[in-house]
Amino acid sequence: MSILGTRVLRTEDPRFLTAGGVYTADVALPGACHVQFVRSAVAHARIRAVDVSAALQAPGVIAAFTGADLGGLPLPSPVSRRISAEMAQPLLARDVVRYVGEPLAVVVTDAAYQGEDAADLVDVDHQMLPAVIDPEQAAAGASGLLFPGAGSNIAATFGDAAGLRPDLFDGCDVVVSRTIVNQRVAPAPMEARAAAATWDPGGRLTAWIPNQGAQDTRAALAAMLGIDPAQVRVITPDVGGAFGAKFGADPEHALVCWVARRLGRPARWAETRAENLVAMTHGRAQRQTVTIGGSRDGTVAAYRLEILQDAGAYPRFGAVLPAATILMAPGPYAFGRVEAVARSVVTNTTPVGAYRGAGRPEATAAVERAIDLFAAEIVMDPAEVRRKNLLPRFTEPHTTAFGAVYDSGDYPAALAKVLDAAGYSGLRDEQARRRAAGGAVQLGIGLSCYVEITGPGVEAGGPSENATVEIHPDGSATILTGTSPHGQGHATVWAMLASEELGIPLGEITMKWGDTDLVPEGGGTGGSRSLQQGGAAVQQAARELVSLARQRAARQLEASPADLVFDAGRSAFAVAGDPDISVPLTALAASERLAVRTVFRAPGPTFPFGAHLAVVEVDTETGKAVLRRVVTVDDAGTVINPTLAEGQRHGGIAQGAAQAFLEEFSYDADGNPLTTTFADYAFVSATEMPSFELADMATPTRYNPLGAKGIGEAATIGATPAVQNAIVDALAHLGVRHVDMPASPQRIWEALQAASVAGRAQQPQT
Amino acid sequence: MTRLSLGKHGKAMEFLQPTTLAEAIEAKAAHPGAVPIAGGTDVMVEINFDMRRPGALLDLTRVPELTCWEQASGDGVVRLGAGVTYARLIAELGGLLPGLAMAARTVGSPQIRNRGTIGGNLGAASPAGDCHPVLLAAGAAVQAASVRGTRLIPVAEFFLAPKRNALHSDELITSVLVPRARGPQQFAKIGTRNAMVIAVCAFALELRPARVGSGDEGSVGTGIGSAGPTPLRAPAAEEFLAGVLADAGLWESAGPLPDPVLRRFAELAAAAARPIDDVRGTAAYRRHALAVLARRTLAWAWDSYRAGRGASRCG
Ligand SMILES: Cc1cc2nc3c(=O)[nH]c(=O)nc-3n(C[C@H](O)[C@H](O)[C@H](O)COP(=O)(O)OP(=O)(O)OC[C@H]3O[C@@H](n4cnc5c(N)ncnc54)[C@H](O)[C@@H]3O)c2cc1C
Repeated sequence: MSILGTRVLRTEDPRFLTAGGVYTADVALPGACHVQFVRSAVAHARIRAVDVSAALQAPGVIAAFTGADLGGLPLPSPVSRRISAEMAQPLLARDVVRYVGEPLAVVVTDAAYQGEDAADLVDVDHQMLPAVIDPEQAAAGASGLLFPGAGSNIAATFGDAAGLRPDLFDGCDVVVSRTIVNQRVAPAPMEARAAAATWDPGGRLTAWIPNQGAQDTRAALAAMLGIDPAQVRVITPDVGGAFGAKFGADPEHALVCWVARRLGRPARWAETRAENLVAMTHGRAQRQTVTIGGSRDGTVAAYRLEILQDAGAYPRFGAVLPAATILMAPGPYAFGRVEAVARSVVTNTTPVGAYRGAGRPEATAAVERAIDLFAAEIVMDPAEVRRKNLLPRFTEPHTTAFGAVYDSGDYPAALAKVLDAAGYSGLRDEQARRRAAGGAVQLGIGLSCYVEITGPGVEAGGPSENATVEIHPDGSATILTGTSPHGQGHATVWAMLASEELGIPLGEITMKWGDTDLVPEGGGTGGSRSLQQGGAAVQQAARELVSLARQRAARQLEASPADLVFDAGRSAFAVAGDPDISVPLTALAASERLAVRTVFRAPGPTFPFGAHLAVVEVDTETGKAVLRRVVTVDDAGTVINPTLAEGQRHGGIAQGAAQAFLEEFSYDADGNPLTTTFADYAFVSATEMPSFELADMATPTRYNPLGAKGIGEAATIGATPAVQNAIVDALAHLGVRHVDMPASPQRIWEALQAASVAGRAQQPQT
Repeated sequence: MTRLSLGKHGKAMEFLQPTTLAEAIEAKAAHPGAVPIAGGTDVMVEINFDMRRPGALLDLTRVPELTCWEQASGDGVVRLGAGVTYARLIAELGGLLPGLAMAARTVGSPQIRNRGTIGGNLGAASPAGDCHPVLLAAGAAVQAASVRGTRLIPVAEFFLAPKRNALHSDELITSVLVPRARGPQQFAKIGTRNAMVIAVCAFALELRPARVGSGDEGSVGTGIGSAGPTPLRAPAAEEFLAGVLADAGLWESAGPLPDPVLRRFAELAAAAARPIDDVRGTAAYRRHALAVLARRTLAWAWDSYRAGRGASRCG
């Protein structure tokens, strides 16, 4: 029986649950000094002077550096060619600080706590500049420019805003438009950022950094330090979550390396939670104007999405998120006409980066809200409107108006399945009963249909990944992979894939990754790419290894390769028809190193899809929403390990739902962050979540032999709009059409107030 | 008493560990600046964030007198040692002090409920402390002790300003005297999350039924949390409700509470709040939510009063 598709328990867990992981902060580095960042306490100011003299006198302080000490280091180049080099972030602020939390000096001490104390003694002489916080105002430029040299706060534009068709909605019976907020959230991985660095006498750097792809991190470090990537070895210890925010390297990581070189002594840094919330990149942060038009029979004729992306103070990946949002703007729908444009602006806030879904959840949230707004306007069941507009099932790739090539999909089946699994009509009946009874607690049912893109290639080429599989004479095997697990369970699944081909038991297979000397190339883990490319590469390597071994076995057995059969149960080759004449892989490995490195190339990204249904109860008096049920179909093609796939769905649902009604990173008008601890940042906890109901559906892709698509971000994408739509739906009969996220008790109450005022205003005068 | 000096470079912090109440009080007199630490769930947060750097900590966890509770004979008052944790309020006092147990159940997480104490809640004197509305509603008193003696401070006089209480620098809280529930008690709170959340607002209610023939006409206690510079009572709401219940003979009849009474009570309770706008909520929302909580807690409490009196459900 095949091990693939079975519920193998994570082979990683015994170590995590007994000995514990070894995170960057646990890496032994004798003699290391500690780097403490001095961060800006104000959002926007000219720096007249940074005085470190008092800090230098403090106990344990070895050195202190400011931006002026970093002369000679190159400025990081922009994330995209379309962004002005004027907007680059220096490793330490030089003349101007642009967000609360921006590093402007470092203090180096013997012990970490001494750095915390000494940092307080660094005196910064500021001349305050007006803070630009609101992205609309930033775009207008009226309240000031962050980078006068760039001439504008607009970092990038996407699509042709001037070329929007005035006739897009011609012929529509109904057109609805609304501006909605896809708020800024904090990735908040369990393990915050960290780094440890040491240089060997030959001038080569070894850096331990929690990351999502050591090879990418090496490139980013080398660029920031102005050295050849060959001079850098990145080692990835255990990583406690990342959610997109640990890709590459941040200025802090490079500075730890720089300090170690400058002082000729190993250096390390481990971020606090408070630091992490303001200084790790944030996610989402879009303001979207959706316009949707169609006929009263439920057919949508046209859809327009206009995006204002808040990139934060320095354009990072967040500045180009709209590219993904636009690509996926129409989602799974067959709308006749679609337009999407975007602007990314800089503001005096924490830079925005990738966060679970990175651009695609924003697209789904926009279109799924638009569908519900349209359904409410024409008074039609939102499930019916979706049914009428979904692309029909397709087996040949489908190219969208924005050039996305959907590999395979059956969106109507996913919707039908989720409605069925949830007992949709029964839910609507219960809702009607509750509305008629008029109690304080009302029921809301929310839907979302989604399709997303996983495993896109890089600019340099199509999607690919490498893997090495080696069999040792003792019967064990080693896998080297270019992916970078940080909770996903690759060690389990990569071993399953190799075991399936080679017949080597799971316990004998070790997976290695994340050390650039061991695995110099690799795309890391992000964009839900790992299984479909990295896993496929492991399978391919194992198969190629069997072919190689076959040649060698044929030589040993003096038989023709074609006459040999591979018996995976015994991990041995035998002569067909004469199983007693055989040679095991271990014997072959003993006589000559038995290893294969291969690169798997995919023809393109894959497009997982699904449908989510959320049920909420909303207390219309207090405004509190309680999530009662989440029912999902998340079709990611063939599933190799259902337990791990479900784990990704569970985490994804929780994270997506959290955005809908709990989490928001917010600032006051002066740019002071307001949600700097988990007491104020309403990070989701288990008590807010019901048990999830997962329905299965698997539409394999032909883009890899496994048939697998990505599952890492899918449920996050589906959950947010389903929960938001459910909350609005609970209040629909009271005149509410929209509640911005997070739909906190206060927001819901305010929406109800506004609807009742509007309702009264509409009543005929007596 | 153990004394430790922690830290280096001449900036040592004294760590005082008395093992009896007498030692603790003497230590506090000798070191008025010493910060008492019980569960540490507030103190350690402040130290970690460098919001305070006390020269000395006075560890109260080894003082046995502080960790007991007893039902003082006769007068129906429960004496809660300052060091009684939330977990114990829930496990041991749900019968005698149901309102306090309800509030305790909403505090933090299991870890916080295992460490956090009622004395620490009072010591921190946060307007959002969850014990406070219940103690106000119950008419509790804080017992403070110093080398000069002990005194009782009514809870209504204990909170002076945000995070400031009426203790003198040489005083420690030894216990809280809480009259045992004489009728239904309720506590309700609204937060953005279900657990680990600072209340957006909270409300506590106690009904103290009339005792026929005793001349006791019954009374009502209230407490408001997170909607003012200190925890507050809503005296006008208390008087209004007590008046209605007595005048209409409702204690006696256990009849249903008319809706206008519920609404008026809620209005008066909300009017007593002095909320501000902050990251957790606007003043307007807090006032509104408080009215909802006041109306609901009253409806629940009255229902249980009626159930206790054997009144029929449809009354
Ligand atoms: C994650 C988290 C969640 C929380 N959730 C809640 C919540 O939901 N509701 C809530 O109300 N609070 C909450 N808190 C706050 C805190 O847990 C409570 O206020 C708790 O009651 C404090 O008790 P403690 O014993 O830990 O106090 P400590 O931290 O030891 O002390 C608190 C204060 O009281 C003083 N003190 C302590 N004992 C005495 C004494 N005997 N005499 C004089 N002064 C004394 C201390 O000097 C200090 O100023 C939370 C805290 C955290 C960290």
